[in-house]
Amino acid sequence: MSTALRVEGLTKRFAGVAANDDVDFDLRPGEIHCLFGENGAGKSTLSSCIFGFYRPDKGQIFVRDQPVHIASPIDAIRHGIGMVHQHFVLVPEFTVLENIIVGTQRSGWRLNAAEARQKLKAICDGYGLDIDFDAYVWELPVGRQQWVEILKALYLDAEILILDEPTAVLTPAESRILFNIMGKMCARGLSIILITHKLIEVMQSNRVTVLRKGKVVATLNTVETSPDELARLMVGRAVSFTITKPELKPGETVVAVKGLTAHGHWGEAVLKDVSFSVARHEILGIAGVAGNGQKELFEVLCGVRKAQAGSIWLMDEEIAGLTPRCLMDRGVGHIPDDRFREGLVSEFNVAENLVLGWQRSAKYRSGPLINSKAIAKLSRDMIAEYQIATRDEKVAAGKLSGGNAQKIIIAREFRHAAGLMLANQPTRGLDVGVIEYVQSQLLRKRTEGFAVILASEELSDLFGLADRIAVMFKGEIMGIVDPRNTTITEVGAMMAGRRQGTIQ
Amino acid sequence: MIRFEPRTERDGLWTAASFAMAVVAGLAVSALLLASTGADVGQVFAALVQGAAGSPKALATTLVKATPIILAGLATVIAFRAQLWSIGQEGQVFAGAMGGYLGGQVLAGMPPLLFFPGVLAFGMAAGMALGWLAAQLRNRFGVNEIISTVMLNYLVIYLLSWLLQGGPWGENGATISYQQSPMLPEEAFLPALFGSNRLHAGVLLPFLAAALCAVVISRTPLGYEIRGLGYNPEALRHKGVNIARTVTIVMMASGALAALAGATELFGVAHRLRADNLIGLGYAGIIVGMIGGLRPLGTVVAGLFFGGLASGAVYMRVLGDVPASLVPAIQGITLFFFLCAGVLARYRVVRVAFQ
Repeated sequence: MSTALRVEGLTKRFAGVAANDDVDFDLRPGEIHCLFGENGAGKSTLSSCIFGFYRPDKGQIFVRDQPVHIASPIDAIRHGIGMVHQHFVLVPEFTVLENIIVGTQRSGWRLNAAEARQKLKAICDGYGLDIDFDAYVWELPVGRQQWVEILKALYLDAEILILDEPTAVLTPAESRILFNIMGKMCARGLSIILITHKLIEVMQSNRVTVLRKGKVVATLNTVETSPDELARLMVGRAVSFTITKPELKPGETVVAVKGLTAHGHWGEAVLKDVSFSVARHEILGIAGVAGNGQKELFEVLCGVRKAQAGSIWLMDEEIAGLTPRCLMDRGVGHIPDDRFREGLVSEFNVAENLVLGWQRSAKYRSGPLINSKAIAKLSRDMIAEYQIATRDEKVAAGKLSGGNAQKIIIAREFRHAAGLMLANQPTRGLDVGVIEYVQSQLLRKRTEGFAVILASEELSDLFGLADRIAVMFKGEIMGIVDPRNTTITEVGAMMAGRRQGTIQ
Repeated sequence: MIRFEPRTERDGLWTAASFAMAVVAGLAVSALLLASTGADVGQVFAALVQGAAGSPKALATTLVKATPIILAGLATVIAFRAQLWSIGQEGQVFAGAMGGYLGGQVLAGMPPLLFFPGVLAFGMAAGMALGWLAAQLRNRFGVNEIISTVMLNYLVIYLLSWLLQGGPWGENGATISYQQSPMLPEEAFLPALFGSNRLHAGVLLPFLAAALCAVVISRTPLGYEIRGLGYNPEALRHKGVNIARTVTIVMMASGALAALAGATELFGVAHRLRADNLIGLGYAGIIVGMIGGLRPLGTVVAGLFFGGLASGAVYMRVLGDVPASLVPAIQGITLFFFLCAGVLARYRVVRVAFQ
């Protein structure tokens, strides 16, 4: 059987550790083939070898059954391989057309815009992509920016497309459109390697190769497998998808928010008259499409953003306007959504990050000096307790995978907080195994008597974890509902602006 | 063909090799420059080494020359580690000397054990005031610290110019102005060490200050916050660190260190207030801090190297018969190669087979 691309016995080591160990992989013409595995399983390493970012230590790559040597992305493009990265490589101040043709011209100094426009028009018509070539990239929503990246690859005559976690930045609706386009591309003979760790996406592919610790665990026809089997293959053990939440009676009110209003950079209201309360043993879910005030709400609650009006009571104290330091000292823990920007210092090692914010605490000092021995010991305990995959506590946090970085934040906040836990998108971009873990930890805090405020874009998470769900739309709470007698569809409608349920 | 790949981990041996190559390359290019002036390169370098380290006297001169440069270098380290790009060391060196001079007048007649710490504190206070001002401009109005510190440099340097020429501190009775203050009384000279006539007690300060900086940066909560501020201020803000306060502390500490350089130079070397002795020390400090990899110990080594160059320059000019202005050129060449080495140390060289 002919293959679009084949990899035989590929091994790539970093500092003696095999990121890819004797990997065999083949891509058939016109199929979507998933590379599925946890962060650090070797998906990115394999695709980087195929696209010429890394040179494999061993193994051979074949394109259309011909052995090839790919030493750089230029070689890969010459062989008809295109790649769309998770983080786009676009110039926001350039138009769509400029972004596609600048730097991709085969020869000469002159940009032949008219010819390029014609070629792109033909590509877009073929796949039903409707995009204005003269729009500036900064004007485009994220989903459209991704189209630009895909167009760039197609413009360079790619026949094999590598998509690296393409839906990580997309809304559910945008993801559906993307899969639609991918279907059309395959129908026209393109072959797609889809890197993902979302089961729902794997199930839409033709075949899937599961990687674990750099090795291929299995290559399966998607129709012959199930999400449960795939999750088990990926993690190496059975994963429970059903969240078992103990029945607990809510205790006294921990935090009460009344009439909270906050303004953005240009004075626009980002929070409008937001009111709710959360009690001990209770998880309040915050649902909403990203950018509807969730982030601002968390920022006000943890003290990094000022509210223009309204009150926040923590136990018996008005805390609106207090600094993050004061709130941390009152037991407020915060898991921010942008973990590498707001939750961690990437250059600091794991141990340093585990005490970030508490570096002045007497527990971690001996006299005026930092007690690095005590911190190292604590770190080793926490690395074990929270199963942070790292060589030791001296590894820079930026070198860890997203899931392990998130575990550092969770470990730190869980260790130091008392009473209130703010968790904004704590499971975004994480592996199935880690998600399960984070969720169980949040439930543990609930059992311990914490009040938890949890925002998530995955409604199924909220329905499994939350005791009540507040739905946000354009900075307002559309209503607070009980997940036990509300459907996902109803909450979806509230996310689009319908009012329902109670507002405290 | 060879190719450079970023290293995932630091390699001590490779780092050392990079800097060794930088020294060799710097000397080689300097030799070319010297040769182009028609000088005997071997003789010039011999004179340089002789003047820098050839005798106890030469070593003493090197130490004395290195002292203010290292202190200004440490001022750079503290600020740059927090990614505060203060260029105010030059003005703060001047302010340190001026504050020290004022302190000398206020504290005149005090016993030495009070007088010397007192005048140094006066000098440091002046530098701290400048640092505080730049920090407030940044914290309150968002003024970039590069702009504010450069402007403050001009302000301070011209203030000294006015004070010495026509102002209250000019030398009395001089018919023509030399832009200098009268000589300090001899009891205001920093005491000499080992009976030397040039090795003043102030040469100990850079070593004490470097040790203190090293401990503060790597072992204290404040140092943790300084490093964190440089890496990711947003995360620190989220975790309760008062960014404005930390910026103020860093800028004041940096100002104090640079000012200490000026005060030491006044009481240890010049013994009178004049711009000639101070000019360029702050900028040299920036270079030395950078070459030292923004580490206190590295800054001491780089500062001693620069001190040696400055002290050897005299010999070079006399014995080697070359213009002394080549010394800054050699310093520039060295800086260039050291910066290259700093980059090289972070990469590894791989051989790529031709296809």
